[in-house]
Amino acid sequence: MTRRRLAFVGAVLLVAACVERLAAPGNCPDFCPSGQITIVDTLLTSSIHRDSSYRGYVLAYQSALMLAAHLPGATDTLDGRPIFRINGYGARIRLTAADTATGAILGADSARLQLYVVRRDTATHNLRLQLYRLPITIDTGTTFGALVAPFTDSLVRTVNIDTLLAQPGRKDSVTGDSVVVDSVNHRLVLSLKLDTAAARYVPTDSGTVSYGIRIAADTLASIAFAKVGLLGPTLQWYLRVDSLGTPVARKPGVLGAFATFVFAPPPVAIDSTLAVGGVPSAHSVLRVALPKVIRDSSQIIRATLYLVPAVPARGTPADSFVIEARTVLADFGAKSPIDLLLGDSAMIHPGATDTVKIEVTNLLQQWSADSTRPTVLVLRPEREAQLFGEIRFYPSVATAFRPTLQITFVRRFPFGVP
Amino acid sequence: MSHRTGWTIAVLLVGPALTGGATAAAQDSQFGIRGLGTPGRWESVRARSTGGAFGPFDPLSPLMEAPLADLGQLTATAAGYTSNRDVVVGGTTTPLRTTRFPLMGVAGPVAPRLAVAVGFTTYLDRSWDVILRDSFMLRGVLERYTDAIASDGSVADVRFAAASRLSRRIAIGAGLHVLAGSTRMTAERRFDDSSFSRVQQSAEVRYDGFGVSGSVLIGVAPGLSIAGWARSDNRLRAKVADTTSAVTDLPRMAGGGILFAPSPNARVAASVAWRSWSKAGAGAFDTWNWSAGMEFGLRRMPIRLGARGGQMPFGPGTQAPTEVAGSLGTGRAFAQGRALIDVGLERLERRGGGLTERVWTVLVGLTVRP
Repeated sequence: MTRRRLAFVGAVLLVAACVERLAAPGNCPDFCPSGQITIVDTLLTSSIHRDSSYRGYVLAYQSALMLAAHLPGATDTLDGRPIFRINGYGARIRLTAADTATGAILGADSARLQLYVVRRDTATHNLRLQLYRLPITIDTGTTFGALVAPFTDSLVRTVNIDTLLAQPGRKDSVTGDSVVVDSVNHRLVLSLKLDTAAARYVPTDSGTVSYGIRIAADTLASIAFAKVGLLGPTLQWYLRVDSLGTPVARKPGVLGAFATFVFAPPPVAIDSTLAVGGVPSAHSVLRVALPKVIRDSSQIIRATLYLVPAVPARGTPADSFVIEARTVLADFGAKSPIDLLLGDSAMIHPGATDTVKIEVTNLLQQWSADSTRPTVLVLRPEREAQLFGEIRFYPSVATAFRPTLQITFVRRFPFGVP
Repeated sequence: MSHRTGWTIAVLLVGPALTGGATAAAQDSQFGIRGLGTPGRWESVRARSTGGAFGPFDPLSPLMEAPLADLGQLTATAAGYTSNRDVVVGGTTTPLRTTRFPLMGVAGPVAPRLAVAVGFTTYLDRSWDVILRDSFMLRGVLERYTDAIASDGSVADVRFAAASRLSRRIAIGAGLHVLAGSTRMTAERRFDDSSFSRVQQSAEVRYDGFGVSGSVLIGVAPGLSIAGWARSDNRLRAKVADTTSAVTDLPRMAGGGILFAPSPNARVAASVAWRSWSKAGAGAFDTWNWSAGMEFGLRRMPIRLGARGGQMPFGPGTQAPTEVAGSLGTGRAFAQGRALIDVGLERLERRGGGLTERVWTVLVGLTVRP
């Protein structure tokens, strides 16, 4: 027993003895290594070159949102109008699920349109939504100008969302409209009841209907509707169907929609400036000549890209937007495949002209780690074509305001030198 | 155990050192950070327990080769220690602790008048870790940071030695020394401002060098011996990734000692050594070191006492740091003298440049005679 105890004590002492503790506060320079970590901070004013912009990466109909806005400006009014088309069931419909017999659709008693408002400014008051009937021929090529007439003379409903939100139970017992506030996902679910006049089921058109939305408010009228999947516009028809000479009511399944939006004024054409954002979305490509002493022999600890706006950032005042800098997998100009693994971003506030700083440390560290990577930066909006916001920066040819990189790096430590 | 088996075991013990696979280190010191490192003490636990005074006469201490001639049988030895070091600077005390295995060797006669030895000991210890807290202006902002610069490793002295007793009074020896080793160095900086990434660089620094030594042991009279030794090392080359980063001249050194044994149960010795470390460059000094010690009592379990003092080769300012130490120890033979365990305790104090180190060291040595 005594031997076991002694062995145990010995083992504990052995383990304790092997614990190393060497770290001591340095008392420099007398008791510090002669070599020190050397930090260099440099501003590369001419390393960015061959920069250019391209537009058309995400078009309005490819966006995940439908943008609605009415923002008078000094020279023009930003006017965004969601439009959507809902295909019908045709001229006939099955009377029951168990029977293949069909009956002619006589018309619609009513319909209920559901819309998801996924972005709105709570500072906006008296927000009104106007529903217009549009030609059923709208498609991806439809322009703002082509719909001026129906948006003028085909108003079918007006809904004041603020008034609706103030109703008991958020339901309007007169119109049948309702709204649900989804505070978890920060969105409103609008359910609008359309009467026979507003929801006309025309069998010769296969029941297809198209609508457009304009919005208005006291100020800052800008919201976004969802358009993808179950969150997109849906229409629930309440039909009258002929059943052996007797009209019967039927409620077929909900139909989804083709949805997009039109807007005015059209985007400013790409010029020599570096455009980022807007609809259709624009990207800018910046090629960086990173000095070899930094790329090959140093450790980059911070890199900041400075961009000077050429004009104040455009967009709806409440909708600040994020632009991001990313690297590419290969340099194919406008069609360079973007590396989605790493990205750095900056927030842009419409109207601002301050110099934009983007921390691109991650990206440059990646270039240092992999010398085969092209040293190309792509600037693009974080959410493409989901905001009207667009910013334009001075390009490299504008000597006084060109994009610059500030890099802080560490030289190689002088290991092995006494 | 046969003679051949004994050598096989011995080579297995020492082999890793010859291939650079072993780790060895001397007693670390803050005084070695700015220089080449902290020089090792080429002494067995027995010799170190006497302050190092018995080093020139101890066949198991790799200081001199000549005493090997009196080694009657194959002998292997190893030593280890744990030290607790208090570093006092500017009124602040930092406790540090290290465990090292600074010595391993095997020696034995190969012919009636010839003995050889192979083994390693620490030439320079280069293990330290410095933490710095400072700030500087970066991008127009005062940025605070913490640096951690560390080195872990040592330069080992791999010795091939031979000795011969020319007569009853005179024994001579010579040795070849291959200096080899490496340190893993890291330099790290953490900024308080997370906008800056952590700086982290590391490298393995490899060292090589070469040296020769010679020694003589003379029996002046019954119970009275004197010893002398000299050694010259050429240079220490540091390489990082096959690129030479530094070449530093190494010192020449010489020393001597005297041993007086008035009776079989009492031995008294003293020694002195000089090393021309100033060749290593700025901040290096030539050093003198002395030691005196005694061993009394039965050889089966003797009592050892000693003291030593002298200078450290590296330090700030214009004067070499100094050190002084006292030690005691004992040993115990087992298995009819085939195995010996030596233990020692040393108290050391170093001073220089406003820094004081106080060290307690517990030493353990194992010697086997198969």
